[in-house]
Order: sequence, then C-alpha cells, then structure tokens
Amino acid sequence: MPESAPLSDLRILDLSRGIAGAFCTRLFAEFGADVITLEPPSGHPLRRTGPFAADRPHSEAGALWLYLAASKRSATLNIETPTGLQLFRTMVEESNIIVEDFAPAKIDELGIGFDELRRIVRRIVLVSVTPFGQTGLRAGWKATNLTSFASGGQMALTGDPSREPLVAGGRQAEYQTGLQAFAAAAVAAFNADALEVPNHVDISAQECMASALELYLPWWAYLKRDISKRRGNVLSAMVGVFPAKDGFLGLHIMPRNWPWFVKAIGRPELIEDERFKDAHSRLQNNDELEAIVYEWASRQDPREAYRTAGAARAPIAFAHTIGDLLESEQLRSRDYFQRVEHPAAGKLTLPGAPFRMSGVDTSAGRAPLLGEHNEALYCDEIGFSPRDLGRLRAAEVI
Amino acid sequence: MYRLPLHGIRVLDLTMAWAGPYATRLLADMGAEVIKIESVDNWDVLRALTGQPPDTERAWDKSPYFNQTNRNKYGCSLDLSKPRGRELFLRLAAQSDAVIENFRAEVMDKLNLGYETLSAVNDRLIVLSMPGHGKTGPERDFVTYGTNVEQLSGLCHLTGYEGGPPHKTGISYGDPIAGIAAAGAIALALWVRRRTGRGHYIELAQRETLISLIGEFIVAFSMNHREPVRHGNRHSSMAPHSCYRCTGDDEWITIACEDDAQFAALCSTLEQPGLARDPRFADVVSRYRNQHALDEIISAWTKDRTKESAAEALQSAGVAAMPILSVPEVFADPHLRARGFFEPVSHPVAGVWEIDGPHWRMSESPAHIRLPAPIFAEHNRYVFSELLGLSDEEIAKLEADGVSGTAPNRAVHD
Repeated sequence: MPESAPLSDLRILDLSRGIAGAFCTRLFAEFGADVITLEPPSGHPLRRTGPFAADRPHSEAGALWLYLAASKRSATLNIETPTGLQLFRTMVEESNIIVEDFAPAKIDELGIGFDELRRIVRRIVLVSVTPFGQTGLRAGWKATNLTSFASGGQMALTGDPSREPLVAGGRQAEYQTGLQAFAAAAVAAFNADALEVPNHVDISAQECMASALELYLPWWAYLKRDISKRRGNVLSAMVGVFPAKDGFLGLHIMPRNWPWFVKAIGRPELIEDERFKDAHSRLQNNDELEAIVYEWASRQDPREAYRTAGAARAPIAFAHTIGDLLESEQLRSRDYFQRVEHPAAGKLTLPGAPFRMSGVDTSAGRAPLLGEHNEALYCDEIGFSPRDLGRLRAAEVI
Repeated sequence: MYRLPLHGIRVLDLTMAWAGPYATRLLADMGAEVIKIESVDNWDVLRALTGQPPDTERAWDKSPYFNQTNRNKYGCSLDLSKPRGRELFLRLAAQSDAVIENFRAEVMDKLNLGYETLSAVNDRLIVLSMPGHGKTGPERDFVTYGTNVEQLSGLCHLTGYEGGPPHKTGISYGDPIAGIAAAGAIALALWVRRRTGRGHYIELAQRETLISLIGEFIVAFSMNHREPVRHGNRHSSMAPHSCYRCTGDDEWITIACEDDAQFAALCSTLEQPGLARDPRFADVVSRYRNQHALDEIISAWTKDRTKESAAEALQSAGVAAMPILSVPEVFADPHLRARGFFEPVSHPVAGVWEIDGPHWRMSESPAHIRLPAPIFAEHNRYVFSELLGLSDEEIAKLEADGVSGTAPNRAVHD
C-alpha cells in the first residue's frame, strides 16, 4: 500500500506565539495536515530562541524554531491591520482549525472570536491555549513554562526534599499543554467533520497538568491522604535513579518483576531471602535493599547493564544523553530520527513522529523561511497579483 | 441536547495501569463508549493501589487512582487467553471502531490478536499499540515503565539541579504523555478513516513520543554537537527565573521576568525601583550574569510574604509569578474551582467524592463525568447480552468456564 496524505485536506491556521500552540500544530503538520503559521512581519517570537546553528544568532537557524516549525508553511500577516484581518478572514474560509494563544478575549477584540469565525465557516474549530484558561480568577495572569509548571502540581512533586522544588527539563509545561491541545483539536476536528459541530476549545495549561498527577490527586481527593511531598531521585530501592560508573541507572521494578530483577543484577539467591520475599517485606527492609542496589549500580557500566537487564526482562534503563539517543541502536533500527537540509541552518536531525499510522506518511519537512509561502498563499490561492503582494508588503500587512 | 464529540465511537480498551487508561479516559470524557476489558487473572494493577486496609470489602472497586482514571468507561470481564474469550472479543471488534492495548510488544501476537487478525474481522477498525520501545528493533521486548521512559528519552538527563545528577520528574511522566498522544492518534485516525474508508494501525513507542517533547535539544545537538547542561530552575536567557521561599513550611513561589519592562515592574513591586538602574541588573545580560545576587534580593522580599500574596502583587504589576501548588492546594484552588474543574462522582461501591473532570473544554459540547468507573465486571450483561446477543445460559456458562468472572483473583497483584 503506497503511503499517502489523507490529512492534506485538513488546514490549520496558526496564530499562536508560544511553544504549546506551535507544538500542537507541528503534530498535525507531521502527519500531513496543511499548517500555515501566520507570523508577524518581524518574524515569529520563537525564531529568537537559541541555541543557533554554529552559535550564530539568526532568525532562520534557532533550534526551537527549526523543530517546532518543521513541515509547516509560513506566511507573514499583521493581523492587527484591517487589511490583514480581511486576509485572515479569507483564509479562514478554507480552514478547519484556528489555533491561538493570545490573552483571553483578545481574539474577540480583534474581531475574529469564535462567534465570528463560525459565521465564516460553519464547522470551524477554534483552539485557544492559555496558562489558566479563558475564564476564572487567574484568566489574565501572565505565565512562562516555569510558572505554569508550578501551577499544576507537578513541580511540588519534583526535586529533592532538602532543596527547592525543581522544574522538569526543557519546556515540559508548554509541551504537555501543546500535546493536549493537539489531541483535543483532533477530536474537535473529527467531530466538526462528521457531525458539523463547530467548537471553541479552551485549553488551560494548569488543568492539563493537574489532570496528570498520578495517584497523588485521587488519593488526596478520596482518602484525604497527602503523599505528594517531593522525594528526590529515589522513591524506594525499587524505583529511582542511581549513580553508576560514568552514568546513571533508572529502576522501576514492580512486584511482578522481582524474580527477573534479582537475576538481572546477578543476585539470584535474593529470591530466597526472607527479608525481600514480597512487596511488603521489601518495603519494610527498604534500607537494606537500597544498599544492595546502590552498591550494584556503582559497579555497572550503565549501557552494558541496560542491555543485560533488558534481555533479562528487568525494567532498568540508563539515563540517555542526547548523544546516546542519536546513537541508539534501537532508535536507529526504527529509522526514528530524520535528517533534513535547511537553507540557513544546514543539515540537521529532527525527532521522528510521536506515533506511526499505517498508510500515513510522516517523513519530516524542514522549517519554512520567514514568509516563504506568501506568494503561494496570497497569489496562487487567494488570487492577488505579485504587484499586490508588493503593496501589502509596503503597507506592512505582510 | 448536544452530542459529545465522540458520540457513537466504540473503543475496546485492553490497557492497564496509567498510560493506556489515561488515553481511554480522554476518549471516554469526549463521549466515546469505552469498554474496559479485564479478566479474573489479568486485571488492572491500579485496582490494587487502594490505599486502604487489605481486608477492605471489594477493595478493588475502591481504588481512588483506578476510579479517577477509568470514569466514563464501561467494564467487562473477559479472558482473551481462552478460546471462547478470544472468539467473543473478535465479535466485539467486528462492531467497534478502535482497539487500544498497552501490553508488552509480543502479547497481542501471542494471543493471536495481531492487527492482521483484527482487521480481518473489521477492516474499518483502528488498532493502537503502545509498547515502550515499539514493535520492532533490538530493544522491543525490554520491559519499560513510566520513569524508565524518561531515562530512555533524554528527559532525565535534562532535568536536575545545577551541577547535580540527572533527575527523575515527580510522576511516571512517560505514561500521561503516551496517553495524550494515543488519544490524539485515535482521533486523527478517525479523521483519516473518513477519507480512506478503512481502519489503520497505530504504533506508539512511548520513548519516541517523549523524545518529541524535547525535540529542540536533538536539533541543537545535531548542529553544535554539545550536550545540554542541567541548570535547575534557571532559564537559558531569562533572569530572574527561579523559585523563592515564602513564609510557612516548604512554601515557594516561581517568578520569571521576560524583559526589561517586567523587571522594572518587579523592582517597583519590591519597592526598590533603583534596582532596575543598578548596573548589575540594568540589562538582560547583566541580570543573567548576576542572577544569584538578584535571587538573594528577591528572596529577602518573598520570605516574609505568603506565596499567594506575593504572586498577587507581582501579577498585578504584570510579572509572571505563581505559587508552587501542592496537590491538596491544586484540589482546593479557587481558580480551578471557579472553572468547575472538579466534579462530584457517585460510585456504587466507593461512594460519593470529587475528582477532576474533563479538561478539554468544548464550548458547543461541554463534557462532564457521566459515569463512575466500572466496578469489576459491571457491564458484563450489556456486553454479552446486548452487544453479543448471548443467552442467559451462555452467559452463565462463561462464568462457569472461567472465561468471565465477577471478582478478580487478588493474588495476581499481591
């Protein structure tokens, strides 16, 4: 069966300026949707984030932009001008999803709120991504990845008990929110397509994170038992990150994995040990077990221990560096990473799709140059002439 | 009366623990008819995490973690490893839209329920598998749980205090991430199915999904060949950007200034407007270089304030600031409450309680908690009688033969 592009008739206009919105639409682009990022004429703010190719700041060569804009089209548009607004409305006619992350109500002030959009296209989906949602006491509050991570309960759980709470690496609050926005938008778009129901999807970063608090929130809600203090790198001898020789080993041993675990660490005799005979006694004798694990880990080459444990079916992994990921035999054998060539940044590697779907091509494209698709969009599709384009540019509309 | 977005979509849910059940929770919240299939000997481990004394009656129906994650779903007990169970499952698959499983890579094939078999009974069926490493490759059979996924995706390497070791996050982070992606994948496949007229197979390798949440680090490494450095709560360009101690025991506020204007607003709030002109802090680069000194000044201000009052003051000046909310504080949060984030649920065995409701807010088809989590085997009759048309005798025989059952074998998760 030849791979095809069954998502090519899904068009998304992306007005967002942050990571969550950009990641949301990137996921659609990855599966072949036509995503148009509408950049301010001065360029999308994410273009300004380093690191840059060869460490030279360049609006076409920032790692974050090269990743998040891959496979999208770029058109410049000043939405705050009457002409820009008119252009946007014209583009909406052919679109399924609009993604924005302005402060709440700003989209209404611009004259392109949900009620207006659904007048233009009956089955439109408007996705609004904000730190706290469109309504409520904190609707207007400012946020960054750090403060958003704090708002949803996940930061209180992360870090060492003797130190300050810790934000997760990278920009997880924003990515999580973007991933949620993608999934919600996909549901809403399907619904709009199948049942002709438009929707304004209100995504709050805080709520996205608060919905993923493992057992901590339900235990508090039901049992009024708070076990949510941060516990550092080692929850118990069976779950934690332990120092190894030149690296770190992570264990996540569930009760059913115990027999494989003792074999994997070369201590089969522990299976007979009364102190560790079941999950309860292992917890009772956690200190002794922890000492065994620390001692074992400290002697291991993490990469080798990972392979041995994996073959022995024990859930032990080593903390992969970025270099380790790029060299991973597993990821390589699956052709996970993709190489693309970018006119300003040169050759670079992109992560592959977060999942694969039979019959759908997910080979990555590169990030667009600023306004690269202005002509295709405004001339070929909307019908302006190249001279009109000059006028729009002179008037700083595009 | 509106219809929920996934009204009429039937999902057979073979998933257990968190990643898969979080995915089907999202689909169930959106109106899909999710039928969770467990068997007497293979039942969801979350049912065992009750937090209650082991002799609690019907403890497996009272696990708050299970009941939160599986609300809005139906429950059926069916053993797929028995020929009759497999046969009935295939008949269910013939009248469903999707099957989701999160077994180890080889399990579905061993049950002779691989994609080929499933699509042969229903070529419009969407099938999603979500093993840690995917279905191929030298590590495909490695057993992997949520915190391992962080280690295998590079996130652990990126998380940590300045100068400290790689650090785990506070939750089994790989799980919800894979779950959200899986829910999105099903929705996308439903769109695709309307174009292709046929079902699709989705393979989600959890570590690959999580790598896509750190994609910029892959790109950067490929361009500059440098490993990123862990820097705690600091940012690569913003300063101040950290968390600061407030009054009380272990109370903290996060503060981040994106530009000069926000920094000036911060200084005014601290009643030290002169700081904005102090050469150590007058511009972005100086602030970045002198952020430790700056942090001390900010801490001196926050330490005598509650995190809430400090955040209020900073936000009213236009500075991004937010208390670090503990889990009980999330539950009590007036803002979340004002948005109706928590909803009451009445469970026939566990009783009445409150839990977070659907967080994808759709203006035209708002979703709520419609059903409590299923007690074990609660909807056997619906599935066997209404969907499969079995007679009472046939249903009784399923139980007699151990193909179905009404209570789980507790020894499995002891």
